[in-house]
Amino acid sequence: MPSSRQRSLRTWLFWAVPVLLLLTPLATNAYTQFIINGMLISILVTLGFTLVIGNLGQLAFANTAFFGIGAYASAILSAKMGLPWIMTIPLAGALGALGGFLASSAALRGIRSYYLAIITLAFGELMRWAYLHTKPLTGGTDGLPLPRETMFGISLSDDTLKFYIFLAVTVVLVKATLNLLRSRFGRAVMAVRENEVATASLAIPTARVILTTFIWSGFVVGCAGALFARHVGHVFPESFGMLHLIASFAMVLVGGLGSVLGAVLGAVILTALPEYLRAFPGMEELFFGLIVAAVLVAMPMGLASLLRRLSPIFVERYYREES
Amino acid sequence: MIKLTSLLTAATLVAAPAFAQDDAWETQGLTDDAITIGVMGPFSGNASSYSKALIGMMAYYEKVNAEGGVHGRKLVAVQEDTACDSAKGLAAAKKLISQDEVFMLQGNSCSGVALALRPTIEEAGLPWIVAHAVSDSISTPLAENIFHGVPTGSANGHAMAAFVLSKPDTKNVAIIEHSNDWAHSYSNPARDYLKENGVDPSLELTMERGQTDATAQVLKLRQEKPDFIIAALYEAETAIFLRDLKKYGMGDIPVMGTAGTDLENTLKRTGDFETVKNYYVIHSYVDNLDGEKMTPWADMIHEYYPDEELSTFSFVSIGSAEALVSALEAVGPDLTRSKLMAALEEVRNFDTGILSDPITWTPEDHQGVKGSAVAGFVDGEPTVLKAWGQTY
Repeated sequence: MPSSRQRSLRTWLFWAVPVLLLLTPLATNAYTQFIINGMLISILVTLGFTLVIGNLGQLAFANTAFFGIGAYASAILSAKMGLPWIMTIPLAGALGALGGFLASSAALRGIRSYYLAIITLAFGELMRWAYLHTKPLTGGTDGLPLPRETMFGISLSDDTLKFYIFLAVTVVLVKATLNLLRSRFGRAVMAVRENEVATASLAIPTARVILTTFIWSGFVVGCAGALFARHVGHVFPESFGMLHLIASFAMVLVGGLGSVLGAVLGAVILTALPEYLRAFPGMEELFFGLIVAAVLVAMPMGLASLLRRLSPIFVERYYREES
Repeated sequence: MIKLTSLLTAATLVAAPAFAQDDAWETQGLTDDAITIGVMGPFSGNASSYSKALIGMMAYYEKVNAEGGVHGRKLVAVQEDTACDSAKGLAAAKKLISQDEVFMLQGNSCSGVALALRPTIEEAGLPWIVAHAVSDSISTPLAENIFHGVPTGSANGHAMAAFVLSKPDTKNVAIIEHSNDWAHSYSNPARDYLKENGVDPSLELTMERGQTDATAQVLKLRQEKPDFIIAALYEAETAIFLRDLKKYGMGDIPVMGTAGTDLENTLKRTGDFETVKNYYVIHSYVDNLDGEKMTPWADMIHEYYPDEELSTFSFVSIGSAEALVSALEAVGPDLTRSKLMAALEEVRNFDTGILSDPITWTPEDHQGVKGSAVAGFVDGEPTVLKAWGQTY
């Protein structure tokens, strides 16, 4: 049982990190800021993915579909309907959540394991086909550029302004997800993962738990899609294919399956790694594979488990702690 | 009066760093003996074969450096990988601009990446010469710092239609294409050009990727009896289409293909000269790849990249590199970014000796190459043509 000192330290640490991050634009250039912005997006994608695959225990690979839905929703609402980009973030999240609802329908029909994996993969490919073949809406293979926009008199192409918006969205969604996981609902999510039949026998509505988790995952990743659309300024179907899925899956595994801290660690490390390897074209894939293999062999529960061993502050507890 | 003087002094003090910053920006990436050039391309990933397109340009830099550089300055390429991915491409561009602080950019395969880069580079304002990607939208609408150094999609489409109409008495033209944007990037400008010249395509057919039989399309064509067929198909499907065309006795109808197919490769695929004897393709160069006029360029590439296996892509960026060097020479030793962009806008009918069409950049139009040659078999030999029956 963690002491109240540990709990307050953990809370302090949670808020200290984003507060310190507020200062990063003082020490970055446009390039490093762009990479940090990319890390924040990856954190949300990995978080949404690990919720379904790690916390709920469903072998579902629809997160790239949610990501694409969010990105295209944001781009279409901005470019075709003239909405300010900032307003498209919750709407993209809502459409991502709708994608989550659709993806959960397979799980709700009792489809599990590899069959669910294949169906959700097909869902992602179907969405990519839709981006390619609905040219009037999505721009087809030419993609869809976001209009140039300003906020507070600053261009939204400015990486520092984007950083503050991305950071705010990331902190809100990570905190909301942590609260969700620490609630009665969160415990039900993990109960479904451990034994769905036993959970149902305790009068826990497992179908609703599965549905809600997919919807929340879709919302988080959909919001990340909206951030990505503004991050790159031009969305293309190729950004939402198998390569993105594999990269997100690797982030989940390296960080630690079912761990919010792991999602953050995996996203940060595997977003930064390719940039460190820029000087060695072609080595990225090699190092990527080696790191994933090394972490899985040495730390099957990911890098988060290493931190947990170092200090109990990093232990993620999903039960109500006594005050 | 004293107050006014103080105000002016204060204004000067405030404005001075801004002017100094402008001066610094103008010569960023420039030293007395080097001009740093950011070269972005897909050096890794699925589309890494396109990185060959930057080899010719970099070999040309080496050649210029070996001859003493431009006004004593060597051309130093700083390579960054885009992996043909928009996010990675943006990271590469931002690194080159804000961290490596290069003087200018040249290169880029993958139109999608180049399109994603456009707002960032346009805002940064440094000169950017696109040396391989073909999408018209990269350089249209006009951006004062973005120059296209290869034929764009519309230039290729127009060249295809112009060649078709250069055949005397061509009135009946059919189009067969894939139903994807790659095919449309050729067929739409070709269709527009035909219509501008009073020819409406008499038949428009689709052949999907991966299709292994073109009988249905060929039978429709047999009814229509076109004078010329425009085929916006990938190489594998082109070979199937030409095979079936001959099979149904229509091998004498000329077929115009895209730059996505190679004449001799298509012959290898069909294995029958009779199928390709009337096949023509877009060809951006003055000669066949193994022709006399291309030999010096091939030798140049092999001098600096001895292991390079030459393909059509290997030569594509050399023309724009030549135009750049010519503009740098015109500016003189007192080089700035603004002066270079002004000099690039003065490039007129620049004969590269390798591209079939000259490069012209004006203040109103930065799409420098307006046409392309065509390759076809003449007397059994692959030949580069200006128009029907006119060799280069």
